Amino acid sequence: MERAPVRAPLIKNLEFKVGLLLALMLILAVIFIGYTLYARGVFERTQKLTLIADNADGVSIGMAIGFSGFPIGQVKRMALTDQGKVRIEMAIPLKDARWLRDNSVFTLEKPMVGAAKIKAFSTDLKSPPLADNAERPLYTGDAAQEIPELIVKVRDVLSNLQDLTDQQSSLSQTMVNLRTVSDRMAGRYGVVGGILGDDQNARKVIEAIDRANTLLASLNGVSLKVDTVLTKTDQRLHGQGGIMDETQKAVVQINAILTDARESLKKADAILKNTQDISSDIKGATTDIASLRAQVDDSLAKINGMIDAINRKWPFSHKAEVKLP
Amino acid sequence: MNSASPPDLLTRSGSGLLNWLHGWRAVFRFAGVAIVESLTPRTYNSATRSVVLKQIYFTAWQILPRFTLFAALLSYVLIQIVVDTARNFGLADYALEATIRLLVLEILPLMTALFVALRSGAATGTEVVLMNIHNEIQAIEAAGVDPNRFEFIPRVIGGAISVLALTAVTSSIALLIAYVVVYGPQYWNLPDFARVVAHIFDLPTLTILWAKVLAFGLAVTVIPITEALAAPKKLFFAPIAVLRGMVRLFFVLMLIEVLSLALKYI
Repeated sequence: MERAPVRAPLIKNLEFKVGLLLALMLILAVIFIGYTLYARGVFERTQKLTLIADNADGVSIGMAIGFSGFPIGQVKRMALTDQGKVRIEMAIPLKDARWLRDNSVFTLEKPMVGAAKIKAFSTDLKSPPLADNAERPLYTGDAAQEIPELIVKVRDVLSNLQDLTDQQSSLSQTMVNLRTVSDRMAGRYGVVGGILGDDQNARKVIEAIDRANTLLASLNGVSLKVDTVLTKTDQRLHGQGGIMDETQKAVVQINAILTDARESLKKADAILKNTQDISSDIKGATTDIASLRAQVDDSLAKINGMIDAINRKWPFSHKAEVKLP
Repeated sequence: MNSASPPDLLTRSGSGLLNWLHGWRAVFRFAGVAIVESLTPRTYNSATRSVVLKQIYFTAWQILPRFTLFAALLSYVLIQIVVDTARNFGLADYALEATIRLLVLEILPLMTALFVALRSGAATGTEVVLMNIHNEIQAIEAAGVDPNRFEFIPRVIGGAISVLALTAVTSSIALLIAYVVVYGPQYWNLPDFARVVAHIFDLPTLTILWAKVLAFGLAVTVIPITEALAAPKKLFFAPIAVLRGMVRLFFVLMLIEVLSLALKYI
């Protein structure tokens, strides 16, 4: 190992190596202290929440408050109030404060094993956020506290159980009856015998069921027949060459006839219109009848000719009339 | 013992007690002088700095890789054991805190101090015993140089810094390993980790930790040197002086550890 400096072997880069080690140590120390300060929330802004509890058993400074199993803040201070209650002041980092709402509930749970836990429950995350410096009650759910009460109740239950299982208890009587019933159920008429308590009755029921079965069979035949009739009717009505089919054909023919009739009527209408025009012309010509008397005869001849022509053109059997004044 | 008369026995035990007390007084006096001198700027000149550098080089730098590896391995195994056991008992929430408390606060500083004591403390003690027997110390004094200031105090400073540095490195690695073992190689649980770290390292704990490591660092060189200087100048006393120094050093390290635990938990 090292001797007096004069005799020590020459070490390469001694100062550099030791400097490196010292720098490493200092950096680690600074990082560690910085990290500890950060972890302790020195650089974090928090909001205050005060919980009022009846009993602060198990609560300690630095204890976390959990929301859904995640720590979202910690106990900063505890004090007794004048009313003998415990004020627990908590610091909630602002980024986690959104999990606490106006209607959040806070509980202190003390399990059988392990430390107590403060838990927050927010059922409605849409309700307004918890205000800074809010004060809320802390409900205690202590498993150990309930043990004596639990034991009393369990003892009651056990004595009841003992009464129930006693030879003379109604439960064991019921069991005996139940056994009789189950014996009958295992007999010739099975469950029915067990329920009716008598083989006679059971047989009647079984006969009734048999009859019902027969009835059902005949009903089945009837329904089959009805079914056949229905099928045939359907065939007649909707089948190839059935009533519906024929009717449809007739309707098509009637439709064609009606179309023809409409065409004919249209033609007649046009001819009537022509006739009307002609008769109005005639009216104009007869206004000056006196002076044109001579011409009338001449015209009459023409009209006659024309009427003949009309008659020739007229498809219906009634006469054309041209009234002259 | 049977032949010894009662007054003789008393005398011997009395002188033994006195020697023991003298030994302790010498240790505390030298430790006090070392602390005062190390805080005095005039202690640091080129000669003392060279001794300090060499002490740090031999005590910390030379063993750094192997010691770090060993500490990492030990940390990993211990963390695994604690975490597994805690999980089996349904106390996984406390696993990380337990491992950090166990390793960073207790085992790693103590282990570092013991290792440095075994390696450098024993060597320093032997060296000083030999210097004393060979009258080198008188020679230095005759040359008008204070052996305390130029030979011993720099070694104490170097030893203390070495223990601090090794503890810092191994503890950091242990924290890292603890995170990886408990949460796996991902960074989502950093806030959780920060909460646990914050819970463990409050100001009193940090102060006690630093004071403890510093006391370890002082002890590993101060005690062997004191014992070596107190030994008679006969060569066959050299092993006895080294042995005494090491035994006393062991007890002192344990005492510091127990004291720190008592301060923390009582």
